[in-house]
Amino acid sequence: MTHDQIDRMVRRANPLPDLNALEPVDASVLTTPLERRMDMQIDDRPTEVKTDRNRWSGPLIGIAAAAVILVAGLVLFLTRDNTPVAEPAPNATPISALNFDDALAPGAYFVDTDGDEASSLRGTFVIEGSGWTSVDAGARKTSAESFVALLVVEVDQVWSSVCESTAPVAAGTTAADLANQFASNGLTVREALAPVNAFGHNGYHLVGEVPAGCGGEVKPAWTRAPVDERWYDPTEMVEYWFLDVEGTPVMIEASWAPGTSPEEDVAELNAVLDTLVITP
Amino acid sequence: MTTVDMARKARFEAIWAEHSVKVRAYCMRRVASHDADDVAAEIFLVVWRRIDEIPPAPKTLLYIYGIAGKVVSNHTRSFRRRSRLDEKLRNLGVAPPVDPAFLVVQSSDDVDVAAAVRNLRPKDREIVMLYAWDDLPRDDIATIMGMTRSAVDQRIHRSYQRLARALAPLIKPIPSPPVAEEGAT
Repeated sequence: MTHDQIDRMVRRANPLPDLNALEPVDASVLTTPLERRMDMQIDDRPTEVKTDRNRWSGPLIGIAAAAVILVAGLVLFLTRDNTPVAEPAPNATPISALNFDDALAPGAYFVDTDGDEASSLRGTFVIEGSGWTSVDAGARKTSAESFVALLVVEVDQVWSSVCESTAPVAAGTTAADLANQFASNGLTVREALAPVNAFGHNGYHLVGEVPAGCGGEVKPAWTRAPVDERWYDPTEMVEYWFLDVEGTPVMIEASWAPGTSPEEDVAELNAVLDTLVITP
Repeated sequence: MTTVDMARKARFEAIWAEHSVKVRAYCMRRVASHDADDVAAEIFLVVWRRIDEIPPAPKTLLYIYGIAGKVVSNHTRSFRRRSRLDEKLRNLGVAPPVDPAFLVVQSSDDVDVAAAVRNLRPKDREIVMLYAWDDLPRDDIATIMGMTRSAVDQRIHRSYQRLARALAPLIKPIPSPPVAEEGAT
């Protein structure tokens, strides 16, 4: 299905496609509650003090309601975030220059996916929020009981199952081969393998959930030269893009823990993904 | 009422006259229509409180959409709580009220597409709705969402890919045209 086809379908499903179909705003519907509340805000006449105790309840409830509305309005604006996401800067810091779990200050970072400084292939991303730390091939943010993480790698070896003890095999040499290996390694598929164009490159997309225990312990899933083994946590959700970057298969892995990763952290992870640029 | 208050009220009324239909439409596309007017009123209540900070045209509506996003999000959280109550009512054999917002949708396919849009992640959903339903330019969406234009492009691209996967079963193959038999006149 093409972008244009989807666009037409989404636009056709607009519940209110034509503003003219909307009857003129009925002032009595909108203005009555509004003006009543406006009066509460702008009426600064001194209130006559009543001696009857029971007569306090009405104004007190009104004042309390006004206070609640004011606080709610204040919260709405204090939580508004208009800070634009920075474009990836040319002077990005190499993740490889940092130690594992170093704090990442807001700024641009890159992962040299093959560890070869002579090649230009890299994934550059921007961290905006606080609490992010470096890992060998990306960044993560951990909270008391959970995490979100982004990795950009050229996979070296894969295990045929995340649930069984097997010997690792060489990773596929094309994005398609690599994608097929991950689509059949025992993860519970949440979004089936599908071709995509993402981050400027063609490839494949997959979302899988790590089984809760596999009847034993979850085994490693893949390695990246020269050292790392990637172990998943049970019930971890992993979103993959397997990209063909001018002939080199590059895997982008975004992961989080459904139900325990704070929504704000998952939103930050998506914001980091928005800035990710894969340079051939 | 002081002269300043009168000026503020006049500005508010001008904003209302110019944008209330669009704001009401924004609400009707996102919440049940029986709640849309209340949510729209809530948005304009915030506009009134912030009247001195509302930027002049052409940024006025974008600023109001920013407010609207927060108010609708807050309403949706309340709605989810109410939905759980609806679920309990259903279990007791009491039907909750139908969401009239869907009654204006014309076909079952459109209902499925609208449902798929509503199932997108919250920020992605808002971007797709602003783009495809509120028909805003991508630069304006970037301003409202506090993102770069390229981030908005990426989100729309990725969301449409998700929708394509979700909606693939809806696509009916186009029947091949009949092939004329050789020698037929």
